Amino acid sequence: MLPKLDPLLHSELRLAIMSILAGVESADFTFLKEQTGATSGNLSVQIDKLTTAQYITAEKGFKGKLPCTTCKITQTGQEAFARYVDALQAYLVTSK
Amino acid sequence: MEQNNEMTAQESLNLISETLNASRRSILKDSARYFILWGLLLVAFSLVIYELWHISGKPVWNCLWFAMPIVGYPLAMLLGKKSTPIPQNLISRQLGWIWLAYGVFVFSVCLLSVVAVPMPASLTLLIVLVLGFTESISGILLKNWPTIVAGFVLGVGGTLVAAVTKSEAQLLLFTLGGLLMVITGIIVKRQYK
Repeated sequence: MLPKLDPLLHSELRLAIMSILAGVESADFTFLKEQTGATSGNLSVQIDKLTTAQYITAEKGFKGKLPCTTCKITQTGQEAFARYVDALQAYLVTSK
Repeated sequence: MEQNNEMTAQESLNLISETLNASRRSILKDSARYFILWGLLLVAFSLVIYELWHISGKPVWNCLWFAMPIVGYPLAMLLGKKSTPIPQNLISRQLGWIWLAYGVFVFSVCLLSVVAVPMPASLTLLIVLVLGFTESISGILLKNWPTIVAGFVLGVGGTLVAAVTKSEAQLLLFTLGGLLMVITGIIVKRQYK
């Protein structure tokens, strides 16, 4: 039986956020916005969903006088991301 | 990029791979600016010290090297503040640590040669060898053959040249080293465009 795909990760923008965060120590909101090409509003909503699921942490702070949000993948997020990739590979193997 | 929950398995894997690669390219492209900055500083300092030593005939001008980190680090921090904050990944972090280790080694040996054990003849030879080695290691991390070869040529060739040249002429090896760092920066910038 094929594993179920995590619905939280099976969304284009949330998956892109997780993919970026999986390869870096942490990333600013501005960097995530540039890399994904998403609007600020949509990105904020998706970051909130990932934060609620404890897949990432989002720390709000200041850089100089400007507010900045720094996102970081958690251990739970790394495990979920790895499971999701494994599930995708299982789907591909079955479909061949 | 907006909401899309209808991706196939292949599309999802492609998205992961493309996003990871794009992020990696941005990070490594950013590291090129620091190669260019420190390369230009090395060229400028070596030429100024060469000229002052040549005109006055006094090697004491070598003390100006200690001003290089004092000028370089604030400039590097300014460069980092001016643009969009770029995150660190494993490679960029390792590159930073390797060059910091190089700086600490060279600074310590130079300081010791001034205050404790004078070693005028072998100092340039040592610094050029370690500079070339660090450049090659950076090339290995970046998977960039021209940088690996440039580091080898600078380290090994520079050591040989340093052994047969004297006094201020040796400083021109650092000018060459600086130029190679600038070229490395330009190559890295193009590689990860």
